[in-house]
Amino acid sequence: MSSFFRKIAWFLRRSKKDAEIHEELEFYLEEEAGELEERGVTREEARRAARRELGNPTLVVEDTRAQWTWGWWEHLVQDLRYACRVMARNKSFSALAILSLALGIGANAAIFSFMDSILLRSLPVPHPESLVMLSWHTPREAFNGSDGHDDNYFDPRGGYVGGIFSYPAFELLQRNDRVFSSVFGYQSAHSVNLAFRGEAALAAAEYVSGNYFIGLGTQPAAGRLLGPDDDRTGAPPVAVISYALSERRFGGPANALGQSILINSLPFTVAGVTERRFFGADPDMPPDIYVPIHTKLTPDGIRAFVPAEEVNDPSYDWVVIMARLEPGVSAAQAQAALSGPFYEWGRAAKPELRPEDVPRLLVREGAEGLDSLRRQYSKPLYILLALVGLILAIACANIANLLLARAAARRREIAVRLSIGAGRWRVIRQLLTESMLLALLGGALGTGFAVWGVRFLTLLLGNGRENFTLRAELNWHVLAGAAALSVLTGVVFGLAPALQSTRMDLLQGLKESRTGEGVGRGLRRMAASRILIVAQIAITLLIVVAAGLFARTLSNLASIELGFNADNVLTFELDARQTGHTDPEIVDFYNGLQAQFGTIPGVRAASLSMVPMIGAGTGATNVSLSDGRVQNSRILTVGTNFFDTMQVPILVGRGIDDRDRAGAPMVAVINEVFAKLTLGDRNPVGQRLSLAYVCPKCEIEVVGVSANPRYGNLKRNMPPIVYLPFAQGAWGPVNEMYFELRTAGNPLGYVHAVRDIVRRADERMPVGNVKTQRAWIDESINQEITFARLCGAFALLALAIACVGLYGTMSYNVARRTGEIGIRMALGAQRGRVVGMILREVLLLVGVGIAVSLPIALVASKAVKAFLFGMKPNDPLALTGAVVTLASAAILAGYMPARRASRIDPMTALRHE
Amino acid sequence: MSDKEADRFELLRGTLDLLILRTLVAGPRHGHAIAKHIQRTSEDLLQVETGSLYPALHRLEAKGWIEASWELSDKGKRARYYRLTPSGRKQRASEQSKWQALSRAIGLILNPSDEEAQ
Repeated sequence: MSSFFRKIAWFLRRSKKDAEIHEELEFYLEEEAGELEERGVTREEARRAARRELGNPTLVVEDTRAQWTWGWWEHLVQDLRYACRVMARNKSFSALAILSLALGIGANAAIFSFMDSILLRSLPVPHPESLVMLSWHTPREAFNGSDGHDDNYFDPRGGYVGGIFSYPAFELLQRNDRVFSSVFGYQSAHSVNLAFRGEAALAAAEYVSGNYFIGLGTQPAAGRLLGPDDDRTGAPPVAVISYALSERRFGGPANALGQSILINSLPFTVAGVTERRFFGADPDMPPDIYVPIHTKLTPDGIRAFVPAEEVNDPSYDWVVIMARLEPGVSAAQAQAALSGPFYEWGRAAKPELRPEDVPRLLVREGAEGLDSLRRQYSKPLYILLALVGLILAIACANIANLLLARAAARRREIAVRLSIGAGRWRVIRQLLTESMLLALLGGALGTGFAVWGVRFLTLLLGNGRENFTLRAELNWHVLAGAAALSVLTGVVFGLAPALQSTRMDLLQGLKESRTGEGVGRGLRRMAASRILIVAQIAITLLIVVAAGLFARTLSNLASIELGFNADNVLTFELDARQTGHTDPEIVDFYNGLQAQFGTIPGVRAASLSMVPMIGAGTGATNVSLSDGRVQNSRILTVGTNFFDTMQVPILVGRGIDDRDRAGAPMVAVINEVFAKLTLGDRNPVGQRLSLAYVCPKCEIEVVGVSANPRYGNLKRNMPPIVYLPFAQGAWGPVNEMYFELRTAGNPLGYVHAVRDIVRRADERMPVGNVKTQRAWIDESINQEITFARLCGAFALLALAIACVGLYGTMSYNVARRTGEIGIRMALGAQRGRVVGMILREVLLLVGVGIAVSLPIALVASKAVKAFLFGMKPNDPLALTGAVVTLASAAILAGYMPARRASRIDPMTALRHE
Repeated sequence: MSDKEADRFELLRGTLDLLILRTLVAGPRHGHAIAKHIQRTSEDLLQVETGSLYPALHRLEAKGWIEASWELSDKGKRARYYRLTPSGRKQRASEQSKWQALSRAIGLILNPSDEEAQ
């Protein structure tokens, strides 16, 4: 204990103490000499004898000083200091090694952080493991309803999976309470106009059933959460708001309590605030406001959102259902218990369906919340993780190669150290310290890259969405993983060369010169480094192929025939219903605005539709023909002048115009696909349609046929479309509408004029979703854009790392063969031949690497098939492009050493050594 | 010369520490004086190597059994004098009794005749 402090005190004054040891020894020598002199020896002789008796003074000082230190610590400091000196001497080597490791580790840690937050994290509620999501499965697409949560999809294993239920189905499932302790539902109410103290802004609202918060088991941050009593007709209108909204609009949860707010001009009271970490059940769509299903967000209540007659229509789906299992019941048991009653109910409620088409209930784990987010991002993240894993492998191979080459270059130094008495373990420890220092620096820098990478990925994946809930943070697992990776790299690639170089024959090592490396050993080393290079080339090709596939996909998507002109179109959303406009005035209000927008200088044409063409979903329903046949079709309600504004050609008949007002005979325009599917070659104009669920009594006359534009999803086939005039209300009451303005020049330059007109028309009305039509399209292929950019960056990174490895190895090779090349040139080899000789070696390595990799690439590219568009996984163009890119980069990397080899002066080379 | 070498003993590790502590019981001394004292008192049978003397002195100092200060030697030169600390005195006593017990035990085995004679 006190010895420890004495050693510290010594350490703090070590230079003075060192001088004292020297002085002490000097004194000893003089005393000794004095004694000898007294015995009659000459002064000279006496001093020499004393010195001889003392032995090696440096060693004595070392040994004495060693009493004041801790052995391992002293050695570690020594090793580290030496390692730093070695690093400083080989700046470019060290920088390359650290940088490539850091990029590899950083990219891995960043991607892993996202995996962690998307795939491994549960909803922030108690016992998330007992939550289940309910959905159903049918053999064919059977979507009829409204859904803001995007949880209907085609099952990759066949059939169609729906994540929303009709209200009667919800009530049925709530009654069967043997397996569930609670069954609760919700649905997005989209954006609402939230006014507080005269300030209006859009907010995301969610309809929730009365037991929603009880079922999830979350606690309020202030006030109370909604209960069953709030969710019945006639209950006082209350809302619960999110923690974020309370901070944004009210100055904290406590201040928000009991406040009166207007939602779509209807009065509500804030009853409570959710916990800060709670984001609803769908991580992809965090609500700002929660209101009970049975309260009114519009004068029509939920009916403004779900068409009037269909709130209780068993064939109209709109409720997302989640449930909490009773203790001891598994999801499979719950499914078994409920599938019978659900199927029977479906047969009775939907008699028009064939028995095999009746939906079957699915009960799946719900701990992570709605799986749309995971479905959307998990596979891309696995692919990215695989890619960055490969990059880390290349980086490690590089480090291994660099360390191998350096160990070979330092054989003489190590032989000298061993021969003057350094212990083998001591030398290994020194070499290990050096590689560990490299690895740890790489790991530390990599962690920095990871922090930056997580931010970058959040931006990239969120694509500017303000309410993106994927808050990936570097957590301890990720940091520990990164640290372990870097330490492992250091140990593995430090230990092998260290063991190898300390086992050598000392005499051989000492005799070694730069050119005369022992032949057998040299070849073995070269074999190891060649294998590493071949592996690097092979892996790099995989990444370059991936980049090529995603780049081609992006260019395929960019060149998709849209069927309308997406350039110079401004879109924005207005909701007159929210600010109190009612039927029939709301139609005139919209038409008036349309006319005013059309007069803005520079606006060539203006129209409106219920959604923009691409990126905001579609309406869809079954359309009945006069002969009784039914065709499932997309629906788009539009204003006058729509086809001219979007530049969709009318092939037969006419478009929607001023004649098609409310009360006039109902009309529709259909697209070519719909015409071909239903009428074949018959003239469609004059045919009569009705909407099977929405408006069965309507008699809608087809007045025209349009060409085929893309609608909804950019990547799907051209869908059948029925266009209806929004003014005639066949598709339910008019709510929010999107306006489209075709402009001269940059569409965003007209936003100011638009806002002015809207403010004059209704000062309470916010203008939402102001975007160009191009931006909608880009957002809908955001994943492909992200992939193409990231993979491009990864491919560049991989190419750079692999080329650095190749360059380093070939340079070392040329240096090693200086003598040999000198002899060749002295014997008359031309420069071109020498360049050719080196490049042949490079090409051989690259060729072997590509040959190994191509079959793997062909198989592996099938794994990314789902992310490709308009091409096969083994796209010849992408493969050829990758091979050519890789080969050119490799030749470039090999050319520099080859050129250097050809510049060797034979005389110098021969005199060398 | 070689005869004389053969007569000297290699000091057992740890023994030198005890000898130094014992030497310092008489009062503060510098390193050279300690070495000479051990040599003379042992009738030149024990020769203290400088290479082990100074590491031993500093080891004992680091352990806190002796302490050092710079003083003028009798010839008027600056020398580092070592003296026992209280814990050094205790250490000396316990080491010495251990050593004596050990040497008696070894003596008993090496000279069984003594025992038989009794």
